[in-house]
Amino acid sequence: MSKLVRRGFLLRASMLATVVAAVGIAGAQTVRAADEVTQERLLNADKEPGNWLLHHKNFSATRFSSLKDINRDTVKNLKVAWTMQLGGVEGGGIWTHGGLEGTPIVENGFMYVTDGWGSVYKIDAHGGKGVLVWKMDPKTDHDWAGAVACCGVDNRGVALWGDLVISHTLDGRLVATNKETGQVTWQRQVADPDKGEVITGAPLIVKNMAITGVAGAEYGIRGWIAATDLSTQKEVWRTYTIPAKDEPGHETWKDANNAAATGGGSTWVTGTYDPATDTIIWGVGNPGPDWDNQYRPGDNLYTDSSLGLDASTGKIKWHYQHTPNDPFDYDSVAENVLADVPAPNGSTLKLALEADRNGFAYAIDRTSGKFIWGLPFVKKVTWTKGLDPESGKPVEYDANSPVQHYNAAVTPSRENKVTDICPGNMGGKNWPPTAYNPDLKLWYIPVIESCNRITVEQADPAKLKPREFWTGGGPSQPVRITGSVTAIDVTTGKIAGKAEMPFPMLGGMLATPDLVFTGLPSGEVMALDAKTLQKLWEFNTGGGVSAPPMSFSVDGKQYIAILVGLGGAWDKWFIESTPELKRMQPGSVLYVFAL
Amino acid sequence: MIKGKMSSIAALFIAAAVLSAPCAALGQSATTSDPTAAGKAVFKRANCFGCHKWHGNGGGGYGGDALSLRKTELTREQIIETVSCGRPGTGMPFFTRGAYDTVKCYGMNRQEVGSQMPQEAGTFLRPNDIEAVADYVIANIKGKGEPDYAECVAFFGTTSRVCDIYKTQAPPAANSDAANGKKQ
Repeated sequence: MSKLVRRGFLLRASMLATVVAAVGIAGAQTVRAADEVTQERLLNADKEPGNWLLHHKNFSATRFSSLKDINRDTVKNLKVAWTMQLGGVEGGGIWTHGGLEGTPIVENGFMYVTDGWGSVYKIDAHGGKGVLVWKMDPKTDHDWAGAVACCGVDNRGVALWGDLVISHTLDGRLVATNKETGQVTWQRQVADPDKGEVITGAPLIVKNMAITGVAGAEYGIRGWIAATDLSTQKEVWRTYTIPAKDEPGHETWKDANNAAATGGGSTWVTGTYDPATDTIIWGVGNPGPDWDNQYRPGDNLYTDSSLGLDASTGKIKWHYQHTPNDPFDYDSVAENVLADVPAPNGSTLKLALEADRNGFAYAIDRTSGKFIWGLPFVKKVTWTKGLDPESGKPVEYDANSPVQHYNAAVTPSRENKVTDICPGNMGGKNWPPTAYNPDLKLWYIPVIESCNRITVEQADPAKLKPREFWTGGGPSQPVRITGSVTAIDVTTGKIAGKAEMPFPMLGGMLATPDLVFTGLPSGEVMALDAKTLQKLWEFNTGGGVSAPPMSFSVDGKQYIAILVGLGGAWDKWFIESTPELKRMQPGSVLYVFAL
Repeated sequence: MIKGKMSSIAALFIAAAVLSAPCAALGQSATTSDPTAAGKAVFKRANCFGCHKWHGNGGGGYGGDALSLRKTELTREQIIETVSCGRPGTGMPFFTRGAYDTVKCYGMNRQEVGSQMPQEAGTFLRPNDIEAVADYVIANIKGKGEPDYAECVAFFGTTSRVCDIYKTQAPPAANSDAANGKKQ
C-alpha cells in the first residue's frame, strides 16, 4: 500500500511540477518500479479506480467502475476519442475468420488487449490518443487449434502479474510476456489440442498462480481447471471436473460406455476468487455428447455446476449443479459474481450469482454451495416448469431416475429426436459477462432471448475419435432470436427491469454508478440508465460487438473502451436466427470513447 | 535471429524435397504436377472443409451433420450439381451465381424450391472451379478409408501440428486420463 500512496503522490507532484523536467523523469522511474502487480494490488483492485487490473475488474467479477465523469447527465456527449485497428481476423481450421471477445486491461494509462489468435497489444493511452507500444504474436498454430475450436477463434484477454503480461493461446499455451519489452519470457503448454482441448478464456491470477480453464466439451474432452506457479512455471494442481473412478461423484456416471472419460465439463470462462475463504469459484460446462443424455445416465457431476475450489490445492470444497444429466447443452461456465447482501435477519448473505445457459439466475451461498434463490431471467422457458424452492433443482428432476426427461414433451431424446427448446442451446446467457452495481444491488444480465431446434443423433462409441465432434446431434435455427438486458434486484431475487434488444447480447456488460454499457452484434454500443434501463446514448461502430465494454481513466480523464469485431460461433452456426446479421463483416477494431 | 535462420534452412530443405519428387515418404505431396492441386485449392478457398473437414468425413457438431465425402456414392456429375446448387433443406449451400434464379437447379427455380431453398455460399465458384473440386473429391477423398498422416500432410503441409495425431494409431488419449485419475 505504501508504495501505491507514494506513487500517487509522485504522479501528482510530477504533473504539477511541469516546469522541472527532472522531477518528471524521476516520477516516471518510480512509476515503473511501482507497476509490479502483486496479490495485494489485485485484492484491492477497486482502490485503483482508474485502472482495470483483472479480467472481471476485480476478484468478485462485478465489472463495476466507480468512475463517474461519464454519467446520466453527461453521457449524451460521449464520442469517439480514438480507435485502433488490430489484427487476427484471418481464419484457420474450420473458421473463416477470427473475432474479438476480450476485455481490455488497463494499468496506469497503458492498455493490454488480445485478438482472437492470442496476439497481445500494449497500447499507450496517454494524451488522448492510442499508440501501439508493442505487439506479441504467439504464432498460434491456426490449423491445429482452429480445427477443434467449437465456437470460434477467440481470446478473452490477459492478466497482469509482477512485470509480466499473462495470456493464453487457442493452441493451449500459457504465455508470460515482459510488460516493458513485449518479449516472451516463458511459455508452457497447458492444454492439448491433440485431445480436442483449446483455451479461449483469460487467465485468473491468484497468489502467484495462473488459473487456466479449458474448452472442448464438443470434442470429447474431460474438463479441468489448472494452476501454474508463475515463478517456477510448474503445475501446482489440476482438478478434473469429472471425477476419476476412485473419487466422489464418479457414481453419477452410471453407463457402461466409460462416458466419463470423454464427458466434457469444460471451464472456458474466467472464474472468481473469495479471499475470505481462499476459494476459487468456477463454472463448469456441459456434458458430452451434448444432446444424447441416454448415452451417459446419471447426474454427470460436475458438469453444469458451479465449483468452489480450495485455491491452494484445487480440492473441490463444494458444488452446485444446475441441470443434472443435461440433454440441452445448458452449460454453467458463466462467471459467478460474488456479492454481499443484507439478509432479513440482519446477517450478511455471501452470494455467488450465476446466470445459467438454462435460463435461470441462481444465488447460492458461496461458503457452502447451498441454494438461496433462483428465477428465470429469460422471457420463455419450456424445458421445465420451474425450480424447486428448497433445492433449486428443476421440479421434474428425479434423483432415482438415471436419465432425466424434464418436460418430456420438448426434451431431446432418442425417442424425441427433433424438438424445439427454449432457451435455445446458446442459452439464456452465454459467456458474455454480467455486471453488478453494489450500490443499487442490481445485477445486469446480457440475455439471449431464444428458442432453437435440437436434432438428436444417438452417440456411437465407435465414432468417438480425438479431434472430432462428439455432440450426439446438433441445433438448427427455425426461430428468430432476440435479446435483452435484464436487471435483477439481488436483495429480493426478482427482476427489476428488462430492456428488449433486437439482437442477442453477445458482448456483455459494464456497470458504473448510474449507467450500464453494452454492445450489440449489429454494431451499436450503448449506455442505459442503471435504474430504468432507458437508453441514454448510442453509437454504431459499424462492426459486430461480441466483447464487453470497460472503463478506465488516464491523465484524469475517463474513457470507455470496447473491442469490435464479431467473434464466436454466431455467424457460422446461429446466423439463420438473425438474418440481418449476415451483413456484418469480420473486423478487428478497438474503440475508445470520451466526453 | 537463430530461429529465423533455421526456418530459412528448413524452407530450403522442404523446397528441395518437393523439387526432387516423386517423394514416396510424402505420399501425395502437392507438387505442381498434381492434377488435383487446383481442386484442393478450391476445397480450401470455398471453405468446404469448414463443414466436411479436411478429410471429407464431415460429422456432427453445432452445424449439424455434414455428409461424409469419403462414403459418398455421388458421381462426378452429381457432385458438380450438389456444389452448384446446394442441397435443398440442408445446410449445404449453393456455389453457382444465379442458382435457382437464372440457372435452374434440380429443375426448380427459387419459387418452386420455396422454404427448402439452400443458403448462398460465402464464395461463388465458376464452372471450372466446381469441376476441379469434384475431381479432387473423386481422386483424393471418395471411397477412402480412415484418414492417415500422409494424407493429412498432403493437405496441410508440415508447418502445423494438426496432423500429429495421425502419426500413431493409438486409442483416444482422453480415455487414459480418467483411468489415471487426478493429476497433481
